[in-house]
Amino acid sequence: MNGRRSVRRVLPIAGAALALALAGCAKDAPQDTWQPAGPNAQKIQDLQWPVFLVAGIVGVVVFALIGFILVKFRDKGQPIPKQSHGNQALEITLTIIPALILVGVGIPTVSTIFELAKTDDTQCVVNVTGQQWWWEYDYPVQDGCGGISAPIVTSGQLVIPTGTKVLVRGTSRDVIHSYWIPALNGKKDMVPGRVHTLRLEADQPGIYAGQCTEFCGLSHANMKMEAVALSPADFETWKAGQLADYAAPAADSDAAAGEALFKANCAYCHQVNGLTNTGPDGTVTPVLANPDQFVVSGAAPNLSHLMTRNTFAGATWDLLTPECRDTVWNASPEEFGALYLQGITAECLNEVDLREWLRNAPAKKPMYADAAAKEELGGKVRGMPALGLTEQQIDLIIAYLLERK
Amino acid sequence: MAIIERPSSTPAIAGAGTAAPAVVTPSEAYGVFKRPVSSTGWRSWLFTVDHKKLGIMYGVAAMVFFLIGGLEALLIRAQLAGPEGTVLSADQYNQMFTMHATTMVFLFVMPMAAAFANYFVPLQIGARDVAFPRINAFGFWCFLFGGIFLNTSWFLGGGADGGWFMYQPNANALFSPSHGIDFWGLGLQITGIASLTGAINLIVTVLNMRAPGMKMMKMPIFTWMVLVVQFLLLFAIPVITVALFLLMFQREFGATFFDVSAGADPLLWQHLFWIFGHPEVYILVLPSFGIISEILPVFSRKPLFGYRFVVFSGAAIGFLGWGVWAHHMFASGLGPVSVAVFSVATMLIAIPTGVKIFNWTLTMWGGKLQYTVAMLFAIGLVVQFTIGGLSGVTHAVAPSDTQQTDTYYIVAHFHYTIFGGAVLGLFAGFYYWWPKMFGKMLSERLGKWNFWVMVVGMNMTFGPMHIIGLQGQPRRMMNWTEARAGEGFFNIGFWNLVASIGSFILAVGVFLFIVNVWITSRKSEKAPLDPWDARSLEWMTASPPKEHNFDSIPTVHALDEFFHRKYEENHDTGEVTRVSSAEEILAEMEANADKHIHLPSPSYWPILLALGLPIMAYGVIYNLLLTAIGGVIVLLSMFGWALEPSVADDSDYDPPADSGGATKELATLG
Amino acid sequence: MADLAVHAPDTGDHGHGDHGGHDDHGAHHTSTGLSNNKMAMWMFLGSECLLFGGLISTYMLYRGRASENLGPDQIYDIPFTSVSSFVLLMSSLTMVLAVSAAAQDDDRTTNLWLTVTALLGATFVGGQVYEFTSFYQEGLGFTTSLFSSSFYTLTGFHGVHVTVGVIMLLATVGMVRRNRIPGQKSEVVELVGLYWHFVDVVWIIIFTLVYLIPS
Repeated sequence: MNGRRSVRRVLPIAGAALALALAGCAKDAPQDTWQPAGPNAQKIQDLQWPVFLVAGIVGVVVFALIGFILVKFRDKGQPIPKQSHGNQALEITLTIIPALILVGVGIPTVSTIFELAKTDDTQCVVNVTGQQWWWEYDYPVQDGCGGISAPIVTSGQLVIPTGTKVLVRGTSRDVIHSYWIPALNGKKDMVPGRVHTLRLEADQPGIYAGQCTEFCGLSHANMKMEAVALSPADFETWKAGQLADYAAPAADSDAAAGEALFKANCAYCHQVNGLTNTGPDGTVTPVLANPDQFVVSGAAPNLSHLMTRNTFAGATWDLLTPECRDTVWNASPEEFGALYLQGITAECLNEVDLREWLRNAPAKKPMYADAAAKEELGGKVRGMPALGLTEQQIDLIIAYLLERK
Repeated sequence: MAIIERPSSTPAIAGAGTAAPAVVTPSEAYGVFKRPVSSTGWRSWLFTVDHKKLGIMYGVAAMVFFLIGGLEALLIRAQLAGPEGTVLSADQYNQMFTMHATTMVFLFVMPMAAAFANYFVPLQIGARDVAFPRINAFGFWCFLFGGIFLNTSWFLGGGADGGWFMYQPNANALFSPSHGIDFWGLGLQITGIASLTGAINLIVTVLNMRAPGMKMMKMPIFTWMVLVVQFLLLFAIPVITVALFLLMFQREFGATFFDVSAGADPLLWQHLFWIFGHPEVYILVLPSFGIISEILPVFSRKPLFGYRFVVFSGAAIGFLGWGVWAHHMFASGLGPVSVAVFSVATMLIAIPTGVKIFNWTLTMWGGKLQYTVAMLFAIGLVVQFTIGGLSGVTHAVAPSDTQQTDTYYIVAHFHYTIFGGAVLGLFAGFYYWWPKMFGKMLSERLGKWNFWVMVVGMNMTFGPMHIIGLQGQPRRMMNWTEARAGEGFFNIGFWNLVASIGSFILAVGVFLFIVNVWITSRKSEKAPLDPWDARSLEWMTASPPKEHNFDSIPTVHALDEFFHRKYEENHDTGEVTRVSSAEEILAEMEANADKHIHLPSPSYWPILLALGLPIMAYGVIYNLLLTAIGGVIVLLSMFGWALEPSVADDSDYDPPADSGGATKELATLG
Repeated sequence: MADLAVHAPDTGDHGHGDHGGHDDHGAHHTSTGLSNNKMAMWMFLGSECLLFGGLISTYMLYRGRASENLGPDQIYDIPFTSVSSFVLLMSSLTMVLAVSAAAQDDDRTTNLWLTVTALLGATFVGGQVYEFTSFYQEGLGFTTSLFSSSFYTLTGFHGVHVTVGVIMLLATVGMVRRNRIPGQKSEVVELVGLYWHFVDVVWIIIFTLVYLIPS
């Protein structure tokens, strides 16, 4: 009776193995590891599906055998069997078979490892730096990426041209983080004091979700990222936008009041390129952020063109309302570029989350950013502290930020 | 507890183990105290050096930690049942998964395996105790006090929050300012002492104290696997010890071993940790492999298929286990050559593991299978571990692993190997050996419920994690969001809920075991002497065994000695006939009993010495003066220990020793 | 693994009569013929190899990461350390003499050589204390650099081992004199000797890797 039960047990397990193999077919899971969208991830996929298949077949065979044994040799009152101690030839055969299977798996594995480590055909370099709990992207001046004439610094969303072999050179400013865009490649740890490289390449325009995968402290769950692939033409537009001059708010507008508040409350950590102070004697000096005085990692996101990206606070929240976000995420590859380059319009701005963030950031995202922590950490915090802004002040700052395109 | 026992004239089958102890009065003080002599009551447990009592205490303590670790797991699953969970704060969640892993690995599976090893290795090799009984007691108290010390961090500012792997520099004081990680490091140092002393003790016991005729290749397979594990511990523990010292010097005394701004390389920690950490996974699972390698033959009514291959594959796993640590670091940026080497080495280790699965399967082939609860758990291990092994092959493929590592797919994998492997094996051991340890049978009926609820629960909990992981949900995340959950059959939300429900079903399964134990403890019905018609030496004694284990030390002629004494096999026809019963064999051993048996005497020093260690550790965290006090306790205990003979003088006992009789001693410096 | 078991012939009375008097604690019958204590010491020393292996690896990784002017090349006083190393090496010789005296049951000579060994060991530890003090005065604190932390950790661990050895030697001297050694005396001396030789061998490795090989 128990034997029959065990047979029934094998079936769901076989079913689960099949389900596992089918997991790649699921739709709309943005971090699905079985839906490659570029050649690097495709190489991994080509390597791993046969391995899963072989593992699944071995599993089914073993379970079928066990199920058969459990039924066939159950105690039916037969005499005590012959006390056989084994069979050398069978043992050796059963050692060699898995060894051969593993040789078959090992050879393509090794060759794929070396293919994925190639860096000599790079067409575009992006420096990626992790810190608690967001990613900074810095495009150095280069001939690659279609030519970059001045450094571009952004965060949250990595923007890359399609069909281009991008090399991420990554490191960290505090603890170990791991960079992972499943649709484009496997993950790579970004270790302070070391530079690690990771190849990324996207075939089609679109957004590819990712997440920090090395445990990095309190808000590890809130350290996300997205890779945005644009056609080379759209990428040119994006670069131009990132290098555009500071758009000063119109005099006496809400945004102008917001600018003053920004200078007083935000600019000591967050850089906005082109933001200036005018002294009483008319001298104009640039406003330079100095986050290493206030933050453990010594960095805070550059907000010069905040509203060209779709996310904030470590890509944990969207700057787009859910409806607008759906439109962008579900856009066809042809339409995607134009939609993304629109940036955040006033109608599409997700004010709910942004307001909560400005009201009290550590309450929204766990960070070591309160007064007590500041004392323990020698006067610095990890993450954005609560600024004690009034609702009116928040209105004005949002008005200012909305113009950072 | 009797300090000295002469073979009772009452037959063992009548439960002679409970015979009235000899009257004992201490005559001489060693060091400061009179030697403890209690044979009953709490003192007989606190100061015991009996491997069986220590084994039971290991088991009880480990079970308590299992429940604590399980509670932590339930809180984790409650948090992740739905999106944006609010059961725990981020800080609490990080402490919870760190302490869950630490508790389950160091305070449940390892000591539970130590419980079985302590209790059954001496019995399986026909010895009266381990080589160093006082060191054995010291090891247990180190484990218990270390575990309690570690858990007091909950009440002193929070548990460790860096993950059980405690990657640097995230575990530096700058990033984890609470004392949790200090407790973690110091607590594991103390439990490490338990593992190291236990390893030396058991290695010497197995190599040196086998009954006459028991050659290495006639040892029961459980003893073999324990031996391999002790060698792994012997060489793995010092490596984590170095890592923990560096951690302590960094956090407490300002060193900069992992401080990147001082030029340190954070990968040093990873290498040290995983050189320990990978052998550690075999330390967890090999004892259970040994347990089911005992159980499958008994309930298949035939010997283990390919005993030599199982022994050698166990040793091969132990050996290869040293060469694969960096497969935990495929995403760490090692460079393609290292990754390729470790990837291939990891595939190699699948071969001896596969050999084991085949041998278990072929042991059942052609057998006469009896589905007792112990057998069900053993078969459960074979099936569940195979799933874990196969998913292991998928991430031995390093590029594939870079997609899977640090996702729930890995969580699924190692729970199928550690829960499906190690824990199911331990439960098989509970049901198999319970009548031997306590003289009563656990209920088979309730046991079957226990098994099926646990297996359904574990597959519901850990099965969906394969899907969640392949869908891209990373580990160690305090919440997940709808935005990244996806839709349809494979959506992360649905399967997270299934896993959470499963975890509570699993908890019910474990609870049924506790109920079974409770019900059994209230039953008065005695277990038969040989309820399973077993094959190895530990069954050739009373249940529970007398304090001196065997009335006379058996001479071993074959693997499965007990079976061969009970049955005769016609070598031409293969026909097996019963020639003797367990009762008859025992009666014969009793008739030939050794007249004068010296057993090691209880001692105050092991527990006192072990008590000094957590005091020193609290001192490291709070005030070095306390460390000095603890140090004095340790030092004095050591001197007391050194001056105390392991066996009390005969004059300590009444009636005095029979000077005319031959003696059988096992006393050593230990 | 080879079968090391050496078994007494089965006399039919299940091992009776292997032993003489009750005091004969050292002559236990073991499966391998090696005494439990000695095997345990070998196992412990095997484990210690990995401990020092880890510490030496840490030092080798960090030896070059020193602050200016306080690196291995500037700070080591090779002649001084060579002399103290020689003292430690000589103590192995005197330890051998103690073990051989103990084997001949000559308590007086055993104690003499044990004491000399302890003194030589103490001299070495004293030299290390002097060395640490002078390094500290030159500005090399425990936390000065990765080099200093790993140097002090490695040599400090070794120094603690030597100190424990000296305590063991002195305790053995006291116990031999008062006849308080449980079990066989010569074996206890031999065990202490095993430990002592191991600590010496480790120092030879440390001295070569840390002091003699230029960074």
